[in-house]
Amino acid sequence: MRLLLVEDNLELAGWLAKILRQDNYVVDVFHDGEEADHALAVAAYDLVILDLTLPKINGMQLLRRIRSRKDTVPVIILTANASLDGRVAGLDEGADDYLAKPFDIAELEARIRVQLRRSARRPDPVISCGALAFDTNTRLFALSGTPLALTPREHAVLEMLLMKSGQTVSKAQLSQSIFGLDDLADPSAIEIYVHRVRKKLEGSDVRIVTLRGLGYLLQHDAH
Amino acid sequence: MRIESLRLQLLCWLLLPLAGLVALNVWTSGRQARATADLVTDRTLDASVRAIAEDVRLDRGVIDATIPPVALEMFDTGHRDRVFYRVDTAEGRLLTGYPDLPRPKATPKEGVPLHFSAPYRDQHLRLAALQYPVVGAHDGERVTVVVGVTLAGHAAMVRELWVGGFSQQLVLLAAAGLLVLVGLRQGLAPLLRLRDTVMNKGRDDLAPIPDAAVQSELRPLVAALNTYMARVEGQMAAQRRFVANAAHQLRTPLALLATQVTYARRTPDAAEREEALSGVQESTRRLARLASQLLTLSRSEPGSRRPRDEEIDLSASARLVLEGLVDLAIERGIDLALDADAPVLTRGDGAMTREAIVNLVENALRYTPAGGSVAVSVRAEDDWAVLAVEDSGPGIPPQERDKVWERFYRVPGTPGEGSGIGLSIVREVVDGAGGMLSLGTAEAGGLKVEMRLPAASTAGRLEDGIRGA
Repeated sequence: MRLLLVEDNLELAGWLAKILRQDNYVVDVFHDGEEADHALAVAAYDLVILDLTLPKINGMQLLRRIRSRKDTVPVIILTANASLDGRVAGLDEGADDYLAKPFDIAELEARIRVQLRRSARRPDPVISCGALAFDTNTRLFALSGTPLALTPREHAVLEMLLMKSGQTVSKAQLSQSIFGLDDLADPSAIEIYVHRVRKKLEGSDVRIVTLRGLGYLLQHDAH
Repeated sequence: MRIESLRLQLLCWLLLPLAGLVALNVWTSGRQARATADLVTDRTLDASVRAIAEDVRLDRGVIDATIPPVALEMFDTGHRDRVFYRVDTAEGRLLTGYPDLPRPKATPKEGVPLHFSAPYRDQHLRLAALQYPVVGAHDGERVTVVVGVTLAGHAAMVRELWVGGFSQQLVLLAAAGLLVLVGLRQGLAPLLRLRDTVMNKGRDDLAPIPDAAVQSELRPLVAALNTYMARVEGQMAAQRRFVANAAHQLRTPLALLATQVTYARRTPDAAEREEALSGVQESTRRLARLASQLLTLSRSEPGSRRPRDEEIDLSASARLVLEGLVDLAIERGIDLALDADAPVLTRGDGAMTREAIVNLVENALRYTPAGGSVAVSVRAEDDWAVLAVEDSGPGIPPQERDKVWERFYRVPGTPGEGSGIGLSIVREVVDGAGGMLSLGTAEAGGLKVEMRLPAASTAGRLEDGIRGA
């Protein structure tokens, strides 16, 4: 899951990103609206966390641009303006949720999960494929009931494949979801991560199938 | 005793003089009634004595004084008055009547009745005496007729005339009082409505009161009330804006603090926890600074605190402030310099002036990159005490320079932790001291802020001038 955090306070943005990365999200951080707008144009994000007071393009204008592009990415507004008018204006402009500063991190995390579940059309917080289960609340994988230890990149690969289980996921899509803009995106590295995940799934009824030229597919062996 | 009620006051002012007038009127009408009754009684007595006198005749040399009944009947007014009479010859011989009935002290002129009062048989009488020639006598024989009547009828007439008038006056007075009350009620109604309008206003309702409903005399009062409320509303709005802004300013640092604390609690790595905790410490320090800035700003609000008027040496103040900021400068790797040799005097509030200098220098330190420099200089120039702060930072674009003095304004794209309060504190302080602020470009390429305060001698002269005027 790749999140875009747009917040002009450098420190708040930095610490928030740290926490979200601990939660196994891939996080890109921008401090002004214009840069965030460019990022949204080139990369696919699963969710945007948006501060309203931003230099260059403010949060409201950015939100308007996102929605005018017919981009339905979930947007959670995060702002110091806690007034009712501000909240209504934000929601009317196309935000999916609104959180006033100061907020509890746990609440922000819960709201992020709600939006991700909603946009994936999966109301059940536990997503499973055979013996593999992913609890979207704890954001942890389990294989046959035992926790599965994964590095953040492996986590991102498996999460993407599980979200699209039964469908082919291209290398480009995988690359988008596991590399932030700050990372050196090396498409060949994808193969390494897929290989590692595949090994960790060995012995279970779930496996990653490689479709040459098309991408990867998470499959559940029915027998 | 003071009468507080407007109604009672007006009633007193109207009814007391009115009652006085009525009393005077009653007294004069009493006199008039008595005079009228006297006149009526005297006329009846006149008619009676004439009737008797004209009936006295000489019959075969003997004077015959027969009393005609009509002469006595005319006194019958239903008040049981008693009538007494006597007829005497000129020599004083009693012809008929009551021999002890008093006679006038003087002799009445012929044909003209003489009136007098006298006591008779324990009663007061009104009497008339008439000297009249005897009909049929040739030698000028005359008789004197005296008729007296008790005063019951007279008194009844006085009573009737006077009491009737008196009760009329009382009714008039009562009617006047009633009308005054009704009039006051009507007249005071708008005032009472105004009172109710003011009293029933909600706690935060400071909308102006319409003055159309009150009399023209009361409109200035309503206008004054409205002006006052508008002023209060303005102050309250400023206060609300300030509180809202202050709350807004506190939200982001608080969010940062919450985030750092959450991170510190969650991370299993001791080094990372240490980093998060020192971040918490720094955030707390910054929040404390922000809170004290907000407090300073609310104190520098016009009218919120009486500023002290003392002599300030700007050089000494600058030195004091810079000594406190040396640590910050070293921490940031900035060369901080002071050029203030001679004392430069101004007048104002020393604590607020130092606060202004702190904010100017802190601002410069905050926006100047490491390795840069901040120079503070103090000098006297004409009638001004001038403090300049120059830095080697990015400066402020000319189009933003007017706005930076506004509260909570931050130059767009400015990184870092500023709250947009520092410079507005400086402006409030300088405005309060009658000084000026200007922004320019420093020699080192950064921002140059000049704070001009009236020099002490000038300030003194100015004040003397105002006092002398």
